[in-house]
Amino acid sequence: MLKKLLLVSLFLLPLSAQIEGDIKVPFVNFPMKEGKGIYSTRGKCNMCHSFGYVINQGKQSKAFWREKTIKMIEVFNAPISKKDIEVVVNYLYKNYGNQEN
Amino acid sequence: MERRDFFKKAVVTAGSIAIGTNILEADETTQPANDRAVTPIAFPEKRPMIMYSDRPPLLESPREVFTSALTPNDLFFVRWHMPMIPKHINTSTFRVHINGLVNKEIKLSLNDLKTKFKQVELTAVLQCGGNSRSAFHPTASGIQWGAGAMGCAKWKGVRLKDVLDYAGLKEGATWLGFNGKEKAVYSETANFIRELKVDEVNEHMILAYEMNGEDLPYLNGFPLRLIMPGTYSDSWIKMISDITVTQKKNKLLFMEKAYRIPDNACECETPDKIVEKTKPIEKINVNSIIGYPKKGSKVRKDAHIVVRGVAFDAGAGIKTVRVSVDNGQTWNKALLDDGTAGNFAFRTFRYTFAPKKTGKLTIMCKAISNNNEEQPLAKDIQWNHGGYKYNGIDEVILEVV
Repeated sequence: MLKKLLLVSLFLLPLSAQIEGDIKVPFVNFPMKEGKGIYSTRGKCNMCHSFGYVINQGKQSKAFWREKTIKMIEVFNAPISKKDIEVVVNYLYKNYGNQEN
Repeated sequence: MERRDFFKKAVVTAGSIAIGTNILEADETTQPANDRAVTPIAFPEKRPMIMYSDRPPLLESPREVFTSALTPNDLFFVRWHMPMIPKHINTSTFRVHINGLVNKEIKLSLNDLKTKFKQVELTAVLQCGGNSRSAFHPTASGIQWGAGAMGCAKWKGVRLKDVLDYAGLKEGATWLGFNGKEKAVYSETANFIRELKVDEVNEHMILAYEMNGEDLPYLNGFPLRLIMPGTYSDSWIKMISDITVTQKKNKLLFMEKAYRIPDNACECETPDKIVEKTKPIEKINVNSIIGYPKKGSKVRKDAHIVVRGVAFDAGAGIKTVRVSVDNGQTWNKALLDDGTAGNFAFRTFRYTFAPKKTGKLTIMCKAISNNNEEQPLAKDIQWNHGGYKYNGIDEVILEVV
């Protein structure tokens, strides 16, 4: 009997979850450099992903920031209007650029 | 199951740029960043780690963990592609679906996996293709990881092959598509789906529900992830929900564009001349990392130091690790562990010496695989636009006082 009970409890053991309830990933506020275009960039980019995802790409060329901005629109449906593309690209390049076009 | 939960904004803290303010350097590959501090705030089931983003979570392991054969779950690196991942998985209702060109479409629970199939264990290195990307100059595209976008764990689960056999593949079954539960905010089309050819499935590939004797941490793909030993981790789908068998290859963004390198002998290109023809990154390059001592630490002249680190490759196994303490003029054999963890695992090494003079001292380590593949010097690694597959000889500079 005891053996049977032990077997049952061993069998059930791996089914218990390590975590009860929801996990909570901390929200991290990555400060953005002040500058022209900060509001559009904050509004359009940060609604889907962290600004850390942007700045930890390293300092990049204007062509890089343009390519990524367009990819966000075309692939991920980012709600960035045609006229806002250059605003975002210029903000990123001016503040997080590598001086190369 | 709540499939599309946003993360709650639980704690507000100031994040910073993990990347340093690099002065512009010559266009030569250097050592990856090795001076980043862990963030003061811990993520779920994790100790404080080097943090690049909270949405999606991107966490790097600090170097000290690379003195051990197994990387602790709570210091194991984290890389998601999509900002939305479920914050709760109900383990009793969770199912993985096997569908498409199969004799019977099946939905397997965790309990099914644990009771209906042979349980297997395998120790294997999980490494991001962009690990050490910060070594590339000019700056390559992607997160500027240091050397800690990797880890080694003992995985437990069931063989992918056994699950496919259970469902039964139909005539013409050629491709397997793997989909996990992470989601983009807007698009339904750009799911992070990866594909693998049916005839590439081998006995080492497993659907794992356990990591180092515990449930997988949420951020490492709880409750089930694909393990593909010897390959970079881009196809090790986390929170795997669907395996779809097809005859034709699908056109998928994350297969056609991401995680690819130039399809030429050197796997290299220049920023002015990006190579059009590309191939997947796939097999892990032979590599080794010094976990101790730490960069910039001070040591005493004539006092013995034990250098410790890990070496690994795509599965041939490590033949030798050599260490140099004289800027690469002479290389001495390090002592290796017994290798019983297998050829997909970290092989730990140690090398003891006593510095003979004061001043700067550079420790270098170089792994050589059983295939006689050998790590190049960092400066000899050629550039690719995604900054993939870095495996330069590691260097740590100390001060002898």
